Parts: sequence; C-alpha cells; structure tokens
Amino acid sequence: MATAKELSASSNVDNTVVGPSILISGRLTGDEDLTVRGRVEGELTLSRTLIVEPSGVVKANVAVKNAIVSGVVVGNINATESVELTREGRMVGDIRAPRVIIVDGASFRGRVDMGDVEPGRLPAERPAVVRPTAVTRPTATPARPTIPAARPMPPPPPSRPTPPPPPARPSAPPAVTRPSAPITRPGLGGLGSKPLPPPPPTRVERAEPQAGQAGSAEPPTPVLVGAGAKKKVVVKKKTR
Amino acid sequence: MATGETGIIGKGIVIKGNLTGGGDLVIEGRVEGQIALKNHLTIESTGKVQADIRAEELTINGEASGNIDASSRVAINASAKVAGDIKAPRVVIEDGAVFNGSIEMDVRLPDDI
Repeated sequence: MATAKELSASSNVDNTVVGPSILISGRLTGDEDLTVRGRVEGELTLSRTLIVEPSGVVKANVAVKNAIVSGVVVGNINATESVELTREGRMVGDIRAPRVIIVDGASFRGRVDMGDVEPGRLPAERPAVVRPTAVTRPTATPARPTIPAARPMPPPPPSRPTPPPPPARPSAPPAVTRPSAPITRPGLGGLGSKPLPPPPPTRVERAEPQAGQAGSAEPPTPVLVGAGAKKKVVVKKKTR
Repeated sequence: MATGETGIIGKGIVIKGNLTGGGDLVIEGRVEGQIALKNHLTIESTGKVQADIRAEELTINGEASGNIDASSRVAINASAKVAGDIKAPRVVIEDGAVFNGSIEMDVRLPDDI
C-alpha cells in the first residue's frame, strides 16, 4: 500500500524521475516507481507507483498499481490498489481502483469506481494477487509483458504447420489470479470515456498454446498476460 | 452555519418522503425520498439514506445513495458507503470509504492542456 504519507520518505530513492523540462509523448511502460515532474502524454503503464508531483502533468490513460496525484492528470486512471489525490492534485477523468482517497483541497471531475468493497475493509485483506513481473490489470489496455519477450511474429514461417510455443518467455507467469472485486463491479453507465473494455477473447488465442506450459492448470482468464494485444494511442506531438 | 438547533432522526426512525428545513440535521435512522436542507447534514454510521440530497454541507459516516448537491462541501468518511453523483465545490473521500459515482468539482487546469 502506498499513500502519499507512506511514500514521502522513500519516494525519491531508486526510481525514475521525469524532470520538469522533460516531455514524454507516446507509450511509457515500466516495472518501477515513476515520478513525474515534467509532462507525460499518451499512455502510461506501470506495475508500481506513479507519483505526479505538483509541477507534473500527465495527459494520458494510466494503468498502475498505485497513483499519487499532486499535479495535473487528464485522462483515466486504472489502479489495482489505490489512487490518491492530494491537496494540490487536480484531475479530470475517471478513476477505477479499490481504494480512492481525495484529500480536502484536491479538485476532481469524473467518475469513481471502487467496486463492491465492504466499508472499512482494506484492500490488503483481500485475496492476494499473484503479480509477477508483468501486471495483469482488470481492464484498460491489454496486459503485456514489459520485458520484451521473444514472441512469435504474427505470420509464422510457412515451413512450420503450427505456431510453436515461444522458446523463452521470461516474464510469462504460470497462472494469473485476480482479486474478485474488479469482476463483480457493477458497470456504471454514461458520462465520459469509460476505460477500454477487456479485450475480446479472440485476441487471447495466440497465447493459448502456452496453457500447458509452466504448469498452468487454470483455465485462461479473459485477460491474459502476454496476450500481445496492443492498443495504440495516437498522440499528437506537442512542443512546449 | 450553526443556527444553534440540531435535529436528530434517531436510530429507530424511518422517514419516507421529503425532508426540508433550515437547521442542522443528524440522521441516525433511515430516510427515503428527498432531503433539502439549508445547513449541515450528517449521516451517522447507523444512518441509511436513499434520497437526493441538497444541503450546504454534508458529512457521511453511514450509507447514502442518490445524487448529492452541496453548496460548500461533502465529506465521505472512512466508514461511509456512498453511491450516486456528487456536485460540490469541495469533496473529500477518506481512506476506507467506498464511493461509486461521479464527482463534479471545479478543476482549474493549466492553459496548455
């Protein structure tokens, strides 16, 4: 669990910082904490914590574990654990997370979806999420390994009748369990752009041959790590 | 905002209908319908409200469903469970609270966004 208070001591240690004069435009993925003091536009996927500092601007669809917003976020945030808007935080967009904190002074416009959590029950008490290097997110952009894994290219060589399982997939987790909450969430209709729906089952197909691999006995879930489905967000380059 | 008078709807009380008034109000029981209050409304942890709420300030410790329109502030405390759309200049959601719905505050964004 990471909230602003808990992280304040360690937030600057050993993580990536997008400095005040940096603009990143495109898709950003990673497995470590990211602090934004500059500007990130496009799409942002992290398996850990995103910190948007007061000088930071994120204009992107964000999928993270935790997000702490003290700057500006325009776009949707999908967090597996928590989203916190601090006193200086400003956000326009939808939040989907089991734990959402809005502190007095923060401003926000959009929808909040916390699912069906019992009041007073901390997400830490929920069934643990098996979360290897690659994160599985309930919705938003399809999960993909952040380590460039050896993946069969779409047209397999004609000499091979069936697409063989990839020789090495270091980040492929054996099985993926997800917290039950996101599944049971009631869909809240209307208003604004909803996070992208889970990928259609057909996209999962390519990952199927691996089911026998790595001792995965569980039936494939709709969202599979490494399904390889990509959603391209077209980003306008912007110069400051 | 304090007019010195605070009404209390006790634990055993169920109100179905419209509730209007000028003073502060604390709800410990159940209210279904509509609430329009000039001052501060508090829904205690035992309180369950299914109503569209209009008030100056609203503090929720219990359960509320319906749309909320507050002229100053809405506080959703840790024990609260709230569903509906909120419109207020200031909205606070404490850690532990459950909220599903939309929030509309004034957001001042930088010009270049």
